[in-house]
Amino acid sequence: MKKKAAGKFQLDCSVNGARVRREIAASRTMLEFLREDLGLKGTKEGCGEGECGACLILLDGRAVNSCLMMAAQAHGREIVTIEGIKGRDGGLHPIQKTFMEEGAVQCGFCIPGIIVAAEALLRRKPDATLEDIKLELTGNLCRCTGYEKILSAVELSRDELKKKGKR
Amino acid sequence: MRPELLVRPASLADLWKALPALPRDRRYLAGGTDLMIAAGHGHAGDCWVDISGLKELKSFRETSSSIFIGSGLTIAELAEKPAVKKWLPALALCAPHYASPSLRNMATIGGNAANGSPCADGVCALLSEKAEIVLGLKGAKRKMPLHSFFLAPKRTALKKDELILGFEVPKWRHVSAYEKLGPRSYFGISKVTVCVSAEISGGLVKEAVIACASVAPVPLLARKAAEFLYGRRLDEGTVSEAAALAESEASPITDTRSEAGYRKAMVRVLASRALSKLAA
Repeated sequence: MKKKAAGKFQLDCSVNGARVRREIAASRTMLEFLREDLGLKGTKEGCGEGECGACLILLDGRAVNSCLMMAAQAHGREIVTIEGIKGRDGGLHPIQKTFMEEGAVQCGFCIPGIIVAAEALLRRKPDATLEDIKLELTGNLCRCTGYEKILSAVELSRDELKKKGKR
Repeated sequence: MRPELLVRPASLADLWKALPALPRDRRYLAGGTDLMIAAGHGHAGDCWVDISGLKELKSFRETSSSIFIGSGLTIAELAEKPAVKKWLPALALCAPHYASPSLRNMATIGGNAANGSPCADGVCALLSEKAEIVLGLKGAKRKMPLHSFFLAPKRTALKKDELILGFEVPKWRHVSAYEKLGPRSYFGISKVTVCVSAEISGGLVKEAVIACASVAPVPLLARKAAEFLYGRRLDEGTVSEAAALAESEASPITDTRSEAGYRKAMVRVLASRALSKLAA
């Protein structure tokens, strides 16, 4: 039983490749843990109810809504946030570059979640079709762009990643 | 409000041992996609028992006559299993319409039933596939048809501390159709869903199960419509008569998601669409 004093939880997990061991408030959500305890502010809180996808992170490689997850549930597991999505040289990831080149970002609030979703999809399905991309992004809301540029940026990222074997 | 206390047992044995010492008002936390939202709207227990790490609830077993699905499997994990595609076509068809990809990575099939909602997508699919639900409390296990598990909106047969261990679904040679109406094509809570599973042999219906969501206080089996289909060919007349029977069995209400009259009418439309797909 992983429990310490009432109200506390001894968390041991991996965040962006580094091992994190700390005592946290048991009532912490994963989103609060990342933003407030670890200072990783790239993960956003939009709706707080799993509708908008701004808070997506990778949990053992799968995209999940960090607002609906308790931090304690990550015990023994691997978390990757938008800060951990990088190119091989440690700079921007090809998906991030393509989003910039395509002008797929306006206010930017939803983009970390969308890039996490796109990364999860392209890792799993490097040949994803436009239809696959649309379906993968059903849980991500953007109120600025109208989605067209986001969809074409993900398609271009897919081509770029395949062409150059940039993983 | 999220509780101050969260415990994370390492095994089922560990869980049963820990319960007596915990506050009485306790809830199980699995995928969290319903419980976390409930906690955002009000009190949701003094203690959460996190069962999301329990390997025992993630089992998936296939025998010669049935498939056992552990309650802790997520919708995404289930959708990827070849045995689900082969033996549980309704569940496979339902998966893309179940919330969003990231929520499918979190939400468990056990949680979908435990939440007790008449609109649960996974429950509707499993109902049409003749699933039984397996419950456990300490050493004791019991099993019942999935439809008897639901007593009223948000009320199930679960006793205090009882846990859904999984679902047992018989292997039968059926085809399925899943028709859901939501506010948009994907990622919406259902206004009406009709899921039909049927075994068709020599062009005649040998057996059919019609499950409907969001049109009664509990997930509904349209039994009259299903019985009517027995031994018949799925021609236009049969489809339309069965669809009308299904409509007569629905007793929807008007709520934030849809209106009673519309829901009732749509049961007929969706049942007719589903049966026509099976006929094709």
